[in-house]
Amino acid sequence: MFNLPIEGEELFVLEFGDIVNYFSLYTTTLFLFATAFIIIAIIARPERQTDIVFGTDAVYTKEINPDNLRFQRFMAIACGLATLGAVCSGDLFNFCLFTALIGITNIGIVAGVNNRYVLNAAYNYGIVAMVATTFLFGGAATALGTCGTLSIWELAGLGMVPLAAKMFLVLGVMGEGMAPFYIAKAEITRAPGAPYVLMIHVSSLLIFLRIIEIILTV
Amino acid sequence: MIRLIGKGFRTFSKWMSTYENLVAVYAVLGIIVAMCGIIMVPLITYHEDQIYSKSINRDSPLDPYDRGGIPFTKVDIEAQYPENSPTAGYVTTYLTPFSWFLANSSPFLGTTIVAHPGGILDEILYNTRGLDTVVETSILFTAFAIASFLFRRKE
Repeated sequence: MFNLPIEGEELFVLEFGDIVNYFSLYTTTLFLFATAFIIIAIIARPERQTDIVFGTDAVYTKEINPDNLRFQRFMAIACGLATLGAVCSGDLFNFCLFTALIGITNIGIVAGVNNRYVLNAAYNYGIVAMVATTFLFGGAATALGTCGTLSIWELAGLGMVPLAAKMFLVLGVMGEGMAPFYIAKAEITRAPGAPYVLMIHVSSLLIFLRIIEIILTV
Repeated sequence: MIRLIGKGFRTFSKWMSTYENLVAVYAVLGIIVAMCGIIMVPLITYHEDQIYSKSINRDSPLDPYDRGGIPFTKVDIEAQYPENSPTAGYVTTYLTPFSWFLANSSPFLGTTIVAHPGGILDEILYNTRGLDTVVETSILFTAFAIASFLFRRKE
């Protein structure tokens, strides 16, 4: 597997029974990136938004409920941990599970916001993420049904995984990684508790980068 | 002509700028990919050298879950990396004594996998692919955490 151009050198291997996670140069880069953003989520304070009262010099600051803040931080860290699992997983099904976990924690991060339009966007994203799991696990199941194994180690470089399975996997990851679209459209970045929303962008970016690596490898 | 195309683009971008419509966009993509997948079914080739065995014994009371062997003894289990699962086959495979009694007295235990304590434990799942079960339960716990947070929140 490590003679393929995309992977780079083999650095570390972590064994969980049949699921053997690997850290190549590529996945280690993604892993470190996700770790950096988990640390940011742990130490960051939420942004206190200020609005100018029209026609006067007055400014008011929005209050941030500590309960919401704590929950959002918890979900952001959980999302980061799921991303860590997804970027180094050496097994197709395991990768799909971690990606589904990322989708659920993404909803959790914005669930702490009280605004109606934010929750509406989260609901819409939830529908997409739910439908996407069908394609995600369908892709993994097709790969298992044809090749008889899910281990990326065994499948690497053989080209055994059918094109349909790869398309399903990519579409599934597209659905789970669609959250930044909703963030941008519904302007959730400016909602209270903004720094934790960063984790949604990071996790989506990283699972896209990882699925490209998987598709080129298997 | 160009004006017409420009108008079409404007209408389309206006439609796309509402985030409620992203679900529809994804649905269209999903339909296209699903159609392609169905068309590609004849092209999918089955590779014979499968790791996990596919033999099914229809007469067994444990029908879809019967992996062979007698409970409380060592059973041969196919693993991808046997050196990583040294205890595979030693964990009481599959059945508690009560379930073993039920399996011997009723022909339908395979359909009651969760209906009694300690039903059938799939060792392939719990021993060789343990990380999967851990992540599955984490997904459940996360979903419960979000649901309870939303339920208990004071509006």
